[in-house]
Amino acid sequence: MTRKDNIFFLILLAPALFILLLFIAAPIGQSLFLSFHRLILSLPQLGSPFLGLENYKDLLHDPVARHSLWITLIFVCAATFFELLIGVLLALLMHHHFPGRGMLRACVLIPWAVPTVVSAQMWRFLLNDAYGMANYVIFGAHTTEYIPWLALPSTALLSLIVADVWKTSSFAALLILAGLQVIPEELYLASRVDGAGVWQRFWRITWPLIRPALMVALLFRTIDAFRVFDLAFVMTQGGPADATNVLQFYGYKKMFVEGWMGYGSAISVCIFVMVLILAVFYVRMVGHRLLEASG
Amino acid sequence: MRNLLTGIAVLVFMAGTSPGGTITRVDEPTTLVFLTWKPNQSKGWNHLLQEFDEKHPHIRIKTQVAPHSSTQYHAIVTQRLKNRDASLDLFLMDVVWPPEFGNAGWALDLTSRFPVREQRKFLSGPITANIWQGRIYGIPCYLGAGLFYYRKDLLNKYGFEVPRTWNEMLTAGKAVLQGEDDPGLYIYSGQFKQYEGLVCDMLEFIWSNGGAVIDRKSDQVVLDKQASIGAVAFVRDKIIGKAAPRGAVNYEEPESLGLFIQGKAVFHRNWPYAWALSNDPERSKIAGRVGVAVLPAFQGHHSASTLGGWQFGINRYSRHPEEAWKFIEFMSSRQSQKILALESGLAPTRASVYEDPEIQKMMPYLNAFFPAFKKARPRPLSPVYPMVSQELQRFFSRAIAEKDSDLREMAKTTSVNIERLLQLVSKIQR
Repeated sequence: MTRKDNIFFLILLAPALFILLLFIAAPIGQSLFLSFHRLILSLPQLGSPFLGLENYKDLLHDPVARHSLWITLIFVCAATFFELLIGVLLALLMHHHFPGRGMLRACVLIPWAVPTVVSAQMWRFLLNDAYGMANYVIFGAHTTEYIPWLALPSTALLSLIVADVWKTSSFAALLILAGLQVIPEELYLASRVDGAGVWQRFWRITWPLIRPALMVALLFRTIDAFRVFDLAFVMTQGGPADATNVLQFYGYKKMFVEGWMGYGSAISVCIFVMVLILAVFYVRMVGHRLLEASG
Repeated sequence: MRNLLTGIAVLVFMAGTSPGGTITRVDEPTTLVFLTWKPNQSKGWNHLLQEFDEKHPHIRIKTQVAPHSSTQYHAIVTQRLKNRDASLDLFLMDVVWPPEFGNAGWALDLTSRFPVREQRKFLSGPITANIWQGRIYGIPCYLGAGLFYYRKDLLNKYGFEVPRTWNEMLTAGKAVLQGEDDPGLYIYSGQFKQYEGLVCDMLEFIWSNGGAVIDRKSDQVVLDKQASIGAVAFVRDKIIGKAAPRGAVNYEEPESLGLFIQGKAVFHRNWPYAWALSNDPERSKIAGRVGVAVLPAFQGHHSASTLGGWQFGINRYSRHPEEAWKFIEFMSSRQSQKILALESGLAPTRASVYEDPEIQKMMPYLNAFFPAFKKARPRPLSPVYPMVSQELQRFFSRAIAEKDSDLREMAKTTSVNIERLLQLVSKIQR
């Protein structure tokens, strides 16, 4: 590679770099900047004094924020767990040879292809307390038994988790299916010859070999679940009693509803840092596993 | 060819520099962008927009549609205003926004165009809501207030008068429910989701028990006093999951009205627009069997309605404030308010429209609304109202969603938070 080549490569990369800087680095930088200031849109007379870390200190002592973090963590853990579980099952099913497999593979992807706002609206109707399909399926004509899913703090969060699992399990399945497909058929044939049963084949061959793919799915799903916003926005607006006030939605409300730009930015930055730590942690682990698998 | 191009360039240049750009403006109308929402009944609005177009050939109104939800409209319009987006000229304001829009420098100060002498022709509630520190920032378009809808037929059948107190409502409701023997029938339907509407509904309970968020005389936060807490406890213990379905904790206006017009609630709290819908035989099972009154109160206290409604405002960074003013002057004229009332069912903000013979003939029920309108109380008037509202929504929603909530403790925390917000404002007033 000559020097000239290097310059040429840089020129080719420049547009992409420029776009990354403009649309990713700049907004993050601006959020960071805002988070060190007190900026309240409706009170311009206060100016935007530099506060240092005060917004972050307030955030640490904000019971609503702590509650939101807690809820977000429950959401992330529950949603990711069930998405991977269902993802593995779906992937195994889709990997199996049977008539109509192509159809199934296409169908499984439908929920993932539906925009979240649309699917959230759909779940809102399904879970309606008076005419919702969910109640009808469970209780039939016993209308007095109907559960107002989105009106009880406990079931509201559960509803959000169910909606998320329904929508993104197929994405996890797709990633895991890719992992399944690279397992050589010979391994299964050999183990059969050795007399291994179905369970043994799964635990000894399939499971260890799809683990890297599973890790990738875990990475994507955790990070994505951490940023949950649209489900809460459409289905519950954070209620009832803040039961679905996930962090991202809390930050949105601070910034766009209350006009409290500095504090809202501090929340965004915190989410960013948490996701960043997760990503670095996972990528290192996945990288390690991948090396192990190929070595 | 080259000469021609040069000529055009010179002309364009001249047009750009001539005073006021008169060359291009002679036949090109000024376009005003009006951020609105999709009205419940659009006939009157379309009528007025068309009439304005005909009367003002040099002004074109381009409407852009934002969500009808107050919170979501607010999020969109404030984003554009804070960015000093000059492509927006006119917008609507919910009744709680003018202090914020005025103080932030988003809404144009209309005091010189809309002097006190003109203001007096309007009802005083909505006018007060548009004033911040002595300057007026909006013109009331139409008015809202919490109203009490009831099933005339059911009350007659069981021999009850329209309840004056909340307890009378429960007594009458229980008797009706017993007589009707319909497991899907509830006593009351209202708005209890964690959103702006929750604040409106809960304030009516609190005010009608002699409580308040901010005391009108002392300006102190009195949310944690017994009068306020007692009313909240009443809603938690007697309304949610009892008189009203538990699902009401996730109801906004449409869901709560749905229950009522399906014939599944005896009493219903809603804004004036619900009158036309609940009497529309195509959409309502109870058309013609609905009555309306002022909301009940607690024993020994006065009924209270939350003031609602929308205002017109002008973007302070609009390039065409004169034309924009012409538009809102037209839209809020006596004649226009009459059209909005007759064709879109919106309650006028000008007192004189209520006495108009045609209005009296076509909308006699406005007489029943009027007492609530005149006494309707504003939510706290403050530039930080959106923040205050979030605190209140959190408190009310937690208070009613959890059966054993410690109301006193929660009210105290909320009061402290609201006081802190109000201190921010008093800093700038000094």
